[in-house]
Amino acid sequence: MAASSGRRPDSSSLAEVLDRILDKGVVIDVWARVSVVGIELLTIEARVVVASVDTFLHYAEEIAKIEQATAEGDLEDLEELEVEPRPESSPQSAE
Amino acid sequence: MTNRYVYGVMNDDPVEFETDAVGGADRVYTVSHRRLNAVVSDIDTTSPEETDEDAQRHDDVLREIMERDGGRAIVPMQFGMAFESDRALKNVLRGARPAFRRALNDVEGRIELGVKIVREEDAEVDDDAVEEAVADKLESIAAQSVPNDLFSDRLVLNRSYLVEREDREAFDDAVAELEEQYDDLMFRYTGPFAPYSFVDVKIGAQQ
Repeated sequence: MAASSGRRPDSSSLAEVLDRILDKGVVIDVWARVSVVGIELLTIEARVVVASVDTFLHYAEEIAKIEQATAEGDLEDLEELEVEPRPESSPQSAE
Repeated sequence: MTNRYVYGVMNDDPVEFETDAVGGADRVYTVSHRRLNAVVSDIDTTSPEETDEDAQRHDDVLREIMERDGGRAIVPMQFGMAFESDRALKNVLRGARPAFRRALNDVEGRIELGVKIVREEDAEVDDDAVEEAVADKLESIAAQSVPNDLFSDRLVLNRSYLVEREDREAFDDAVAELEEQYDDLMFRYTGPFAPYSFVDVKIGAQQ
């Protein structure tokens, strides 16, 4: 095993922080942030982290169900919606 | 200041510390619903203005959390997620609990690193070959990666990688080897960041 390169990533770039902080991360719309009484929440997960194409298709299917349930106003079913844990396998990007 | 600015959500023990927080507050603490803890500070608006200083503070708070206790997991919020009240915040923690839990599970023990590869003005570069060489080297170490926008035609590659903390040194070394191999290209290697690029959760309200 070769000695470590000692290469370290640069952690001080504001531009790199801004690229991420203004565009990525969890987004909660203003109505969910100011309203409380009797509010129905709608959560959409694109699940960037998926292990395989099969898993991705499974998530895509679940998201389609959420959209359908939303369209039908059938939000109670969403409580029951659970997605199987992803299998550990080779990394794949969800492009 | 009864509004709450939220930095991210975690499921470890609550935290409280003094720091320069977004919007002028000087204390960061947690608001909890069951085992989910939102990391917050007090603020007097629900639509905070985007400034470089506050963006940096938001990121600094997340880094502080990520460095605690040998490395905590946190699901980072986009800038600007300020809530009217603790009740509104807890309502979201409750309503979106499965999504937060899954996102926490995805990022547990992992950090985000960024790699940008830039060519010289007039350099002839085989983009596909570079992309393939980088993928060969880095994808097997990273748990996951996503492409970012190639906003300049001098950008040969722009990706974010989700890397296990324990694989961080191997990743550093792999980047160094690529830099050596392509010494005519400029590498921008950045991070570690909170896993902003690997949590894609959007929460809305039915109206």
